[in-house]
Amino acid sequence: MAKYGVSILKKFLLLLLLGSSLLFSSDLKTEEKIYKLIIHTLLPQKEVIKAWSDTTHNKEVLNTIPNVILVNSPQKADFLLLNNNKVSNPKALIFVTNFKLLGKTQNSALGGFFWQKGRPNILFLRKNLQKHNITLPQSMQEFIEDDL
Amino acid sequence: MKYLAKLYIFIFISILLAIAYLFIQTSQTQTLLNTNVEKILINEAKTFAHNIDKNLQKHLKKDPYQELKENKILRKQLENALELLRSDTFKYIFVLYRDNHGNYRFLLDGSKEKAAFNQRLNVDKKLWNRVYETQQPLIVNQKKLDGLWISYLVPFVIDKKTKAVIAIDFSKELPQNIYNAIAPLNNIFWYIFIAISVLIFILVYQTLLSIKNKKESITDPLTQTYNRNYMRELLKKINIDNYQIMMCDIDYFKYINDNYGHKAGDEVLVKTAQIISTEIRSDDILIRFGGEEFLLFIKRDNTTKNLAYHIAQRIRKKIESSTFLYEDKEIKITLSIGITCQPEHFKSISEAIKHADKMLYIAKREGRNKVVSTKSHHIKTSQTNTKKSINEVKAALEEKRIICFFQAIYNVKDKNIVKYEALVRLKELDGTITPPAAFLESIMYTNIYNDLTKIVLESVFEHIKEYKVIISTNLNFSDILDNTIYQLILTELRTHKDLAPWLVIELLEYEILEETSEIVQERLSEIKAFGVQIAIDDFGSGYSNYTIFKTLPIDILKLDGSLIKDLDHSKTSRTIVDSIVLLAKEMQIKTVAEFVHSKEVLYEVEKLKIDEAQGFYLAKPSADILT
Repeated sequence: MAKYGVSILKKFLLLLLLGSSLLFSSDLKTEEKIYKLIIHTLLPQKEVIKAWSDTTHNKEVLNTIPNVILVNSPQKADFLLLNNNKVSNPKALIFVTNFKLLGKTQNSALGGFFWQKGRPNILFLRKNLQKHNITLPQSMQEFIEDDL
Repeated sequence: MKYLAKLYIFIFISILLAIAYLFIQTSQTQTLLNTNVEKILINEAKTFAHNIDKNLQKHLKKDPYQELKENKILRKQLENALELLRSDTFKYIFVLYRDNHGNYRFLLDGSKEKAAFNQRLNVDKKLWNRVYETQQPLIVNQKKLDGLWISYLVPFVIDKKTKAVIAIDFSKELPQNIYNAIAPLNNIFWYIFIAISVLIFILVYQTLLSIKNKKESITDPLTQTYNRNYMRELLKKINIDNYQIMMCDIDYFKYINDNYGHKAGDEVLVKTAQIISTEIRSDDILIRFGGEEFLLFIKRDNTTKNLAYHIAQRIRKKIESSTFLYEDKEIKITLSIGITCQPEHFKSISEAIKHADKMLYIAKREGRNKVVSTKSHHIKTSQTNTKKSINEVKAALEEKRIICFFQAIYNVKDKNIVKYEALVRLKELDGTITPPAAFLESIMYTNIYNDLTKIVLESVFEHIKEYKVIISTNLNFSDILDNTIYQLILTELRTHKDLAPWLVIELLEYEILEETSEIVQERLSEIKAFGVQIAIDDFGSGYSNYTIFKTLPIDILKLDGSLIKDLDHSKTSRTIVDSIVLLAKEMQIKTVAEFVHSKEVLYEVEKLKIDEAQGFYLAKPSADILT
């Protein structure tokens, strides 16, 4: 009886810990979901996508995406996620996270994702998509802009 | 205990309800606070929107997009005006127009970090289109967006056509601050809930553990019946009026242990207990009293008077007909059972149990495998000895038919009456007199015996008061040891303090146990302090021994009738009596000869220099004092 009672007590404490940890756990970030969608839309054929970014935050986000590996040089990358400066790599697909940088890279970047007035904003540049022969799925067509 | 448990549950539920109530109240307060703040801010936003609209109307006349595109200075001026309204609460204030593709683009931005003119903004088009089409303001709760609480959308209309939408975004900071302020309070409730839950769990666990320990402590591990611990608890709370007591004992149990081994004995005990359990009802209580003895409390019902007797017979027959198997050996056993039918007549439950044990002893003596109850025993004995039942004696007491006879005691030298001995009698309804031997045994250890002692003492004192004579009365040593009777004697002595020196207490059955001798000495000394004389009755027979002279404060020695009645022809009796008298005289103790039934015996008594004498030759017991 005493043994039985102790086992009940243990189970109860375990449930208590589990419950409290669940209570304080957080959801996946929105950015992770968005980048995952963008990368797999832009590079659907690639089994392993080599990515590079100029911010620690973006690197952390890219690290969580399946099939994406981070490389230490932008020249080795298939996909560049830029926030600060223009980087030249004609082979890589460029995506930016800053509207101003998008303006500076409008001849090479495929598009950008950034927060505007608390709202997530995605846009793709038609001419650059065409340059890379990329056709976006119907659900993303509405985000295509002719120019900035 | 049962009420205490209910009280605890009530307190727990009350605490939980109170906490739940406070929790709900706090949540409601938070919602109310948010709603009120929201109302105030929306009213403020309405005013802002109205002013913005007024300002825009003043500068933009036809096509806001074209006008602002062409006039950068106006754009700057209007954006500065918007920026003035921005605060920590109104985080973003901007104006969007809808392009030909249905996308929304910036016309003006009052934010710190400004969007470019005509820059596209992804908004919830469904809601924004509604404002565009209905031309009615809209309040949007931004549940999906981080950092935003509410968006207030107002159409900008020129010539009844919507040209743009003015948007004011409320920061989440304020409701978040309210929530943060109240959150610790909510957390406290959760902690209290968890603490109480843990507390309740521990309490329940402890209660279960304590119930289990309690059950173990009151259960006999072998037979799984109750044990003596339980009996002790039971005796404190049981209303004995509702029960009859049964004492069962396995006959020749030692034989089973000796012949088949102790394991077989244990097996027999277990199965016997099981059989008894199946033959009794749920209201009856079965206790392993010790060894092979079982004690049962049989719950009375209104239909069967001698219920315990019927149940006992059923158990006895069941055991007799059962065969106990142990390692392929068949063991047959029988039970002897003693019953106390009316335990309420006894001074205590212990005495009633003792009586059941006595009945069990009779059952054993009469050949075993028998049931003997108070009633059956009395029916049997009344047929042979005409003994009275408890109820008959009780009735006689109530009807004042318990009376005292008095026998005179003479001074042997001068033949004068010196005192009287009070002798209790039961007066039958037809007037015949029954001696104490016929009724004292039945009421021994019962409350009726106490009542009878009281009546005798009162009668003795009444006669002392009336006749001014010394009267002796008989008591047992066990009466002196019995707290109730002893207190009763003291009360009577205190009530009749002036008459106490006229009283002589004759003590019978003087086998004193070593452990009680001090109490007897102490109590007799207290009685003697009232002037009462102490006599030892029937000395020279039975338990007589000389140590009593050393330990007890004796005044008178009454020589046993068996020695006196043949003094005239037994030299041995004469020699014994002579030596006792000699010893008594040396110790200055008076001697009294009982059973003086002839002139010859009286002559011998006189010759042996015995001080006093009584007997049928001198005077028979009589209802009156003979002077």
